[in-house]
Amino acid sequence: MDFTIKFIFDIAAFTSVMVLIVLGLGVIASMMGIFNFAHGELVLLGAYTVYLSDEYGLGPWPGVIAAPFVVGLIGLVLERTIIRRFYKVPIIAMLGTYAVGLIIREIVRGLLGGHYKSIPEPIEGAFSVGGLEFSWWRSLIIVTTLLVIAGSYLLLSRTSIGLRVRGALENPMLARACGISTGTLYALTFAFGAALAGLAGALIVPLYQLSADIGIRFLVQAFLSVMLGGVGTFEGPVLGAAAVGIMASGLPWLVIPVLADPLVFVIALAIVRIRPQGFITVGRL
Amino acid sequence: MQMNRRGFLGGASALTAAGWVGTLAGGFVLRPTWAHAAGPIKMGIATDITGAIAPSGNANWQVAQFAVDDINKSGGILGQPIELYLEDTASDPKVAVGNVRKLIQERKVDVVLGGITSAMRQAIKDPIVNRGRTLYIYPQLYEGQECTKYLYNTGPSPAQQCDRLIPYLIKTLGKKKFAMPSANYVWPQLLNKYARKVIEANGGEVVFEEYYPLDQAEYSATISKIKDGKVDCVFNTVIPPGLQPFVKQLYESGFQKKGGVLSCVYYDENLLNYHPAQEMEGLVSCLDYFQAIDDPFSKTLQEGYAKKFPGTKYLFTAGSAATGMYRGVKFYEAAVKATGGKLGREEVAAAMDNAVLLNGPGGGAEMVPGHYHAKMNMYIAVCKNEGGKTRYEVIDKASMVDPREC
Repeated sequence: MDFTIKFIFDIAAFTSVMVLIVLGLGVIASMMGIFNFAHGELVLLGAYTVYLSDEYGLGPWPGVIAAPFVVGLIGLVLERTIIRRFYKVPIIAMLGTYAVGLIIREIVRGLLGGHYKSIPEPIEGAFSVGGLEFSWWRSLIIVTTLLVIAGSYLLLSRTSIGLRVRGALENPMLARACGISTGTLYALTFAFGAALAGLAGALIVPLYQLSADIGIRFLVQAFLSVMLGGVGTFEGPVLGAAAVGIMASGLPWLVIPVLADPLVFVIALAIVRIRPQGFITVGRL
Repeated sequence: MQMNRRGFLGGASALTAAGWVGTLAGGFVLRPTWAHAAGPIKMGIATDITGAIAPSGNANWQVAQFAVDDINKSGGILGQPIELYLEDTASDPKVAVGNVRKLIQERKVDVVLGGITSAMRQAIKDPIVNRGRTLYIYPQLYEGQECTKYLYNTGPSPAQQCDRLIPYLIKTLGKKKFAMPSANYVWPQLLNKYARKVIEANGGEVVFEEYYPLDQAEYSATISKIKDGKVDCVFNTVIPPGLQPFVKQLYESGFQKKGGVLSCVYYDENLLNYHPAQEMEGLVSCLDYFQAIDDPFSKTLQEGYAKKFPGTKYLFTAGSAATGMYRGVKFYEAAVKATGGKLGREEVAAAMDNAVLLNGPGGGAEMVPGHYHAKMNMYIAVCKNEGGKTRYEVIDKASMVDPREC
């Protein structure tokens, strides 16, 4: 029993990390049709914000709280200056965002001198329930992930902003004819996706080291998640990320770890082959 | 978006000022301030100035400049100054091969020092030693078994890192059950092979030996094996970026609190900063040099280095191959002195074989004739945590340990 609870907690913690990272990517891919290859670097910038706040003696908390806003703002600027030129050419958008990501990544690498930096957990240690120890920070990540999923879902499906975003996605021409400024909406959506990436980076960096590559190590699995879940809905990528997260953390229990990594891809690609439309087919949002 | 030339240049110079853009388009030359009739001795440094292991590469380059500067200031080698040539190997063997050829064919260097990873050494040794007919000095601690003629290894071998450390873990600390979590590449595999022999010879037991992708982010399965197997010593060869989540999860599982020992033979002063202090407490490392050792010559070296590179991000440490680089430059100096200033490969190699350093980081060192490796002092150190600050405490010194290679 103890073992099962601990096992579920470990898998839930890693799956939450995966979902957090995929959320922003999924929102941008689903709402705007842009596969944002700079997503990993937006995660990196979130992590870097925490590092800066810690480095300047403020401790990690101000950084964690500021990260979504800082990165959201950077996302807004990126969208207004660069991304908006790519809406008509999604393939070029991949290359363009990749280039943006590369520039951000290498600048941060230069600023860090290529070193890895340790970021302390804002809440250290563990609490025990029934003799089992649970890390505070991992628990906080699980809770925050659930809150963010619920919040984003409500925002997109239950508010008038969400309605407009969905309308602009469904039929941009008609939306514009109804007086909805699609340009502004796209900018806000991109900024929202970027803010989610920033939050993800800020939350996960205490678990890992801050290095310029913190974003790209999750990026390929994040894209796999979006593919697996299906583009065009909010739930799809979330479910996809959960599936990939569970596989990535669960498989090393069953097979040798070096095999587990490629196996995640084999299984995911097999599922995509059977359900090319993803888990969720109809764009309900 | 429009970009004018001035804006571009302004941005570029800002990046250069941030230390980000290497001024490396065509290599880099550091000329001595004086000349000699016979011309300078040309020393080539091929190291990773950019890319994933740039921190180590830059430390190597700075230490090479420091050592050469020192030699040139005291009159060069028998009156001949050393001219330093740098080529970036960019943490990428494909890029490296071309750049190393430049050192040999265009610069016509007399010796090449550098390479940090084993993959890099394997890639550049042939262009240097065979096709390039040049002497090669490799400075990093590594997995052993490199017995190429004209290739001299100046970092510690597995025997040097394990022969003293593992008996210490088993006999002094009383740890018997070992786990070997490892990154999946050549260094951990060969090091583990040697370490396993020493563990078993000393009455210890290897519970499991397991390899992970280099960037694995989740280790709960491994932690569970460590618990179930009642492991009391983790002999770690996981490296960044997979390293920190492993160490954190190990710490969170209460391994150290229950008396477990984490040991890691590449951990120098840089690596301590990669983790929160409490996770590092009690870590046991074994290297050829720690900044904490009590050796007057090593202390002057550190002071000189700090003076030449004030506030540098790139430390003079053992794990980043910087100590091996220092030794390499000085061994070469000793060899050329012994040939009476002749720079031919055969003559210098013959002298290299018997080269002796009286002083260096961590003490002296001497090449073992015919074995391409050096005897050196080895130290065991334990990490202490004092109010969130980490430091090493050196607890054991083994003098002139045999590399047992080739």
